[in-house]
Amino acid sequence: MTASKPLLDVRGLSIRVAGAARPLVDDVSFSLDAGETLCIVGESGCGKSLTALALMGLLEGTPLRIDGGTAEFQETDLLSAPQATLRALRGDRIAMIFQEPMTSLNPALKIGDQIAEAVCEHRDVSREAGRARALEMLKRVRIPAAESRLDEYPYQLSGGMRQRVMIAMALANDPALLIADEPTTALDVTIQAQILDLMRNLGRETGAAQIMITHDLGVVAEMADKVAVMYAGRIVEAGTVTQIFDDPQHPYTLGLMSSMPSLAGRSERLVTIPGTVPSPLDMPVGCRFAPRCPFADAACEAPPQLVDLEAGHRVACWHAPIEQAEPTPAWRETA
Amino acid sequence: MLAFLARRVFIAIPTVILISLFVFSLQHLLPGDPILVMAGEERDPEVIAALREKYRLNDPIPVQYLAWAGNALQGDLGISLRTQQPVLELIAEKLPVTIQLAVMALAIAILIGIPAGVLSAYKKGTWIDWVANITALSGLSVPNFWLGIMLILLVSVKLGWLPASGYMPLSEDPLQSIRTMLMPAFVLGTAIAATLMRHTRSAMLSVLKSDYVRTARAKGLRESVVLIKHALRNALVPVVTVITLLFGELLAGAVLTEQIFTIPGFGKLVVDAVFNRDYAVVQAIVLCTGIAFILMNILADAAYRVLNPRMSEQ
Repeated sequence: MTASKPLLDVRGLSIRVAGAARPLVDDVSFSLDAGETLCIVGESGCGKSLTALALMGLLEGTPLRIDGGTAEFQETDLLSAPQATLRALRGDRIAMIFQEPMTSLNPALKIGDQIAEAVCEHRDVSREAGRARALEMLKRVRIPAAESRLDEYPYQLSGGMRQRVMIAMALANDPALLIADEPTTALDVTIQAQILDLMRNLGRETGAAQIMITHDLGVVAEMADKVAVMYAGRIVEAGTVTQIFDDPQHPYTLGLMSSMPSLAGRSERLVTIPGTVPSPLDMPVGCRFAPRCPFADAACEAPPQLVDLEAGHRVACWHAPIEQAEPTPAWRETA
Repeated sequence: MLAFLARRVFIAIPTVILISLFVFSLQHLLPGDPILVMAGEERDPEVIAALREKYRLNDPIPVQYLAWAGNALQGDLGISLRTQQPVLELIAEKLPVTIQLAVMALAIAILIGIPAGVLSAYKKGTWIDWVANITALSGLSVPNFWLGIMLILLVSVKLGWLPASGYMPLSEDPLQSIRTMLMPAFVLGTAIAATLMRHTRSAMLSVLKSDYVRTARAKGLRESVVLIKHALRNALVPVVTVITLLFGELLAGAVLTEQIFTIPGFGKLVVDAVFNRDYAVVQAIVLCTGIAFILMNILADAAYRVLNPRMSEQ
């Protein structure tokens, strides 16, 4: 742990649909140092994208409300700052890449203009300078024949190329933090590797910290310094990438790990986690993973807190460390 | 773009021929005989026969069509049975009036309808949205003639701001011409504004939910830029269709409004021609209106290509 202030410090973030009884994102806390990459992992609907949108101040105009918490980023609380302040930060200090490159670019505007626009909005520069920066960024994201691409429209580019344009746009103002929401999910596998490679290299070059949201543990292993595992709106385990992969402590993390195919254990059948994610309308009061957990017992009816197992490794489970826990007999039979 | 326009004009030719066939057959389908109208009260058989010969009404119908279409191509649309004026002259006289009225009405409609649609979509569910919707509904529900009369009473009779009626050609006194046209253009424009507002609103609502609008916000762009440059530009595509269709309708003339404000436009010409069975004039007007609609459609396609770069590639 560094003694200096983290770049981003999120504490107790909760998000709920206006008027709903239970929050969709519940008491989420994590921090991120400059230049670090944090991966937030979880199944769809676990609240990871909502967390990202909340940090960007992009929940405005949706029925979702930030219900509590703070997110300190360079002396600003992203959760309570007025929209004008957030707008000045967005696209400048904090940038975001989305999942769908096919629909995330404006179909009616040339890509050079879409990148230059982000530059001109935040920097006091001429249109020519903005265009020059756009060209430079297209070259940095390794788009071939960048010069001629400036005046092309999104439909003339493939999905992978469009995602490169999104990355170029996001990094155009040298942000301190880049949030990427499943940036490779919609792409072909070979393109995925290229995009991840590009993001890792650019992260290193620019020193931008990254929050990468994904459901893909392969991406996590590739990119992460730190990992936060989310389940049904809560962080259930967080730690360094080594801690999470070598010593997973939450039963859900264990389940995720064993549901990943590996080349070494080819003969074994893939393990799935039984049951489904609880609906936000019907959340268990205690541990939200309990209904699907092989270790669940009476203790799990109270909500577990995230506790430090070792430096930086936090787990929200009554049975941690898991080595000492026994699967319950009833679960063994049904599984 | 030029090649595209040329192709579209070429494709429109069969449509124009169809319209001309329809227009021509119209007079034979309509009841009533113009010669009887012309011959007057006495209905002297000799006069009637002479008139029939003069207007070649005894020829077989296909021959009549070819003669008519051939003349039309040369700009000769015949002679008005009623005023004995060349039809082309009549139309050339009325067309600028109607075009001016249509352009002004459309300008008013666009200036009101599109901003109102954008605003009510952006402020969906708030009192602004409600006010815009109720105003639009009233705009659609209030009959033009009533609104016209009320405006004359208020603006002309009570306040004396604008002339109640009359027409001044644009070339003679532009300011006065615009002043006389302002009220009728407003009457026509408000009804169209309501339609435009509804279309803009629904197009904006779906565009505002799109990913690229979220991207624009994530870039930190000002809301005005997000709304106009990113959202409205894409939302305009369906609205442009509506605009061109409405403009086509305006060119066909607005009978009631022209009547109330005594504007010598197309609408009045149509009514007079129909009541007097002035076939040549009716035919020419229907033909002109049909061609105007075709031109508007070509214009709409051209506008699509400007708004949606993807279409210009194909």
